[in-house]
Amino acid sequence: MAVMQRESASNYVTRAPRSNGLADVLEILLDRGLVIDAYVRVSLVGIELLTVDLRVVVASVDTYLRFAEAVNRLDLRASDDSKSVPDLLEKGGEDMGEKAGKGAVEGGMDAIKEKIGLGKRGGDDDEDEDDDRGRQRQRSRSGSDDDK
Amino acid sequence: MTALYLYGITRPRRLPKRLAEKGVFLVRRGELAAIVSEVDASPVEASRRNLLAHADVVEELHAGATVLPARFGIVVPDRAALRELLLVDDLDRLLEEHRDTAELTLKASYDESVLSEVGAGLGRLRDAYARAPTLENGMALGEAVADALARRRERDAELIVRTLRPLAIDVRAGDPVGEHGLVNLAFLVDRRKVDAFSERLDKLGAQLSPPARFKLVGPLPPYSFVDLETPVAA
Repeated sequence: MAVMQRESASNYVTRAPRSNGLADVLEILLDRGLVIDAYVRVSLVGIELLTVDLRVVVASVDTYLRFAEAVNRLDLRASDDSKSVPDLLEKGGEDMGEKAGKGAVEGGMDAIKEKIGLGKRGGDDDEDEDDDRGRQRQRSRSGSDDDK
Repeated sequence: MTALYLYGITRPRRLPKRLAEKGVFLVRRGELAAIVSEVDASPVEASRRNLLAHADVVEELHAGATVLPARFGIVVPDRAALRELLLVDDLDRLLEEHRDTAELTLKASYDESVLSEVGAGLGRLRDAYARAPTLENGMALGEAVADALARRRERDAELIVRTLRPLAIDVRAGDPVGEHGLVNLAFLVDRRKVDAFSERLDKLGAQLSPPARFKLVGPLPPYSFVDLETPVAA
């Protein structure tokens, strides 16, 4: 009984006995750990590149718009199941409008991104990041943004 | 010219062969020993490879001894400077304090479906956005979703800490990573309680709605719990 419970519950938990990826060690090695200032010289290069990539700032225009899009998308998906024929017919016109509108939003987003300096980023040498972020990146790439 | 890269502090002991072969060695002073290897005196690059190498050394040694892991990137000119570093009073106290401890890091994030859950109460803003997906409507909806998500996160994080804290000696919270991030915690636990902690976590996973995904790493050396009480001033 206890074993069963553990098996089903552990779907939610990934375990690793030791750090096995950059995401695991970045914070604990760069922000924490023993420092004895007076006697040592901390000499580093390359930190900015690593930290900028992994610390996601939630309160950004980009995020808000992505949240809105996601809620809308998930909402449409949920209501799809219960659609009757008249609904579908009515919906037809709206869908067209929505597509046009979406283009406009994305255009707006890119303009804002450019203004506040959120550009696309180049190579990411980390393989064990959430594929979540990969998907988001792809999504924004599929938009019409051009490099400055 | 070479210098010494510092991985951490431990008690004098024989190093595992694998580490010794990689050029890792100890510099002793009494009952303290610095774990080091030779590096070029130029700055250490915070690359993936170097960071993981540092973690590998301290985590391997932690498996069979007490290790105070150093922050990444500390380079000491020579052995004389290292021995001086080992004079710091607190090191001995910290080694005693951490004789039987381990750190468990726990990160959790929601599935994307959390957005539809927190968005459920935002009918008016959602309808407005669905009708006219303008920048303005998108911002209004997105901001409301972010607020609702923050409240959900706060509630669930509190539950997680309340459930696991009794099994730990100490806890330290960092910023959750990612847009659906829930918690980013470091627990200091007695090494003998690692299994109990892990079992308690299993039960917690099923209690959250929507289910969160947890990543538990450890037992690690006490990375987050080795602050010197009195910072040493020159």
